[in-house]
Amino acid sequence: MIVRARHVPQMVIAIFLCAMAGGALLLEIPLPWVINDALVRLAMNGVLVLSLVPMLNVGIGINFGLPVAIVAGLLGLCLTVNWRLTGSLGFTMALALSTVIAVCLGEVYGRLLNRVRGREEITATFIGFSFIPLTNFFWATAPFTNPAMLWPIGGIGMRPTIGLKSYFAKILNTWMPLEIGPLTIPCGLLLFFGLCCLLVHLFFKTTPGLAILAIGENEGYARLCGIDVDRMRRLAVILSTVIGAVGICVYAQSYGFIELYDAPMMMAFPAASAILIGGSTTGRATVAQVVAGTFLFHTMYVLSGPLANDLLVPEMAEIFRLMMTTGVILFAMLHHGGRHARPSETL
Amino acid sequence: MLRNLTMTTIILILSLCLLAGTAAATGTYKIGIVTPTLSASEDEFRGAERTAAKHPGMIRHITLPNNFSEEQETAITQILGLGDDPEVKAIVICAGYSGILPAIQKIKEKRPEMVVITAPIWDDPDMMAKYVDLALDTDWVQRGISIPTKAQKMGAKTFIHYSFPTHMAKEVIAKRHDMMKATCAKLGMQFVEVTTPDPTTGAGPSPMLQFLQEDIPRQIARYGKDTAVFGTNCPMQDVIIAKALELKFIMPEQCCPTPTQGYPAAMELAIPKEDAGNFDKINATIKEKAAAAGMTGRLSTWPVPVGYFFPEFSTELAIEKIEGKVKNYDMAEMKKTAKKVAGVEVAFNKMKPEIDNYYLIIMDSIIY
Repeated sequence: MIVRARHVPQMVIAIFLCAMAGGALLLEIPLPWVINDALVRLAMNGVLVLSLVPMLNVGIGINFGLPVAIVAGLLGLCLTVNWRLTGSLGFTMALALSTVIAVCLGEVYGRLLNRVRGREEITATFIGFSFIPLTNFFWATAPFTNPAMLWPIGGIGMRPTIGLKSYFAKILNTWMPLEIGPLTIPCGLLLFFGLCCLLVHLFFKTTPGLAILAIGENEGYARLCGIDVDRMRRLAVILSTVIGAVGICVYAQSYGFIELYDAPMMMAFPAASAILIGGSTTGRATVAQVVAGTFLFHTMYVLSGPLANDLLVPEMAEIFRLMMTTGVILFAMLHHGGRHARPSETL
Repeated sequence: MLRNLTMTTIILILSLCLLAGTAAATGTYKIGIVTPTLSASEDEFRGAERTAAKHPGMIRHITLPNNFSEEQETAITQILGLGDDPEVKAIVICAGYSGILPAIQKIKEKRPEMVVITAPIWDDPDMMAKYVDLALDTDWVQRGISIPTKAQKMGAKTFIHYSFPTHMAKEVIAKRHDMMKATCAKLGMQFVEVTTPDPTTGAGPSPMLQFLQEDIPRQIARYGKDTAVFGTNCPMQDVIIAKALELKFIMPEQCCPTPTQGYPAAMELAIPKEDAGNFDKINATIKEKAAAAGMTGRLSTWPVPVGYFFPEFSTELAIEKIEGKVKNYDMAEMKKTAKKVAGVEVAFNKMKPEIDNYYLIIMDSIIY
């Protein structure tokens, strides 16, 4: 009975989405636009949500320290723009640099989290929060030289927002678009997201992937089986950080701007909401949950805005959306089903 | 030992008094400028730096903590520190925060002759008028008339106002919105109000910016290119200007009118180090880029950032008062000084008719 109840949030949100889609049709809001935006948002935010999977599966919990990964990605992006690399070369270089930086930062982050077992989520939150002021200082003083990135008055230090239009803005969004009538499907962007999902899915079929799952299942048993728990936990953190760094590159190219300074501070929270809405418990996550959660969470944003504005109840939309999303997260937290639940709860 | 120590202390105090006396007698004095940090707001920080370069050795520039609301006590201590310096004869506070007035009250109680100019701080206007020599701010409410009027001159038939609930709960923004609505009705323009996701409710500004990216094309498809788009929040401006370049609608003014907000990111302005802070060059570059995008006459702002203008302007006013050139600030004199500093006409209005030392400004616009 309770197993079925675990899917209640997804069902509630899906029904809510259907009702909103019906409302949009009645109000003559063009649905192709909505579908288009929902697909873009799915892939744009999906990789960031995907980055939470390894840490959830190793038993660390939700990666509230996602800003660390985001900063790694931002640094990769900034270096690429500083060297004026454009097009696919620029984007590939940004991904490669971000990955290298993320591996280094992930190693340190992983070691830190290994020292605070049992309190990883709160520690990660504060690592994220304290890392941002440090990077703010870095952005304000770093010796970047491309004048299109520097403060327009002082000429030293990075601007809070850097345009990517002449570098690689929307490079994935405009790659292989499939036009079906008024609908434009961003195939390139979706393929890239699909590829990331596939890689993560396949990783959990490999020996290290299975070891990570085993640690998440029962750390003591995994240790008895000869798995180097600390090393595997570090690997999961590094993997989360790398995927997060790639995620911000995908996000930035789709948004068209690199956002520095305090922008990454709160980015972990929508990602956490999405994966919880997808049905992940705080102990386990799958790629399917990432896709479902990101789609439901972001489509709700896509639909509720125009609908509420057309119905002239914009404040209500904000309240209702917050109630739905935070309510679902609370439900997921309270339910805490899956592998960590007591046997009686999963019957 | 004790005697030696007492003697040394007395000599030290006497020399300090002598030093202070000499400084006062020879007319050398200092002016303290208080601004946010560079990462919190570049305009004010650089404005203070420029003023310091203009008056070498005369300016003591201090910055407030980044998270001002949580470290208010630190901020107050820093400002009181300026008041304790006998060489400092004026304090100019360009911060845009509420909660600084207690520091000013303490300084004025201790040193009533200290000239204090706020440009701006956001405490209770009546209380501020009692303690400061001059309070300056942007005329936020009056912009509710000037922005739609300018938009109509630029060819707008529809005016879209993007905001969100927590912003609309602020009195000044709500009043400006009402003024905009009334002005649009008077001018025969359609006023459209769109609410974005709230950036203060947990997920940060990302959902708001993503919504703008998706909604602006919908609105322009609905109302056409002769639509003016105005957003009440600073991060919105990057997206609005980038979309204006793409969809060719009108952007009459940002929430904080300055060539350095939105334009640098949206237009990818490459400003060489030697031209950084040169607003003639920055404005010329924006004009060129606007023309290249076929947007001549459809983008506008104020030619100099208010935050950059205020530190220098306030310092000049403080110098005038310290050196006895003016006793009380009057509008005509301030207008002259403002034109010298900004290079364009600046209009002054009283905050309240009964208050003589609280003025609100509006600058002439530049249309690219």
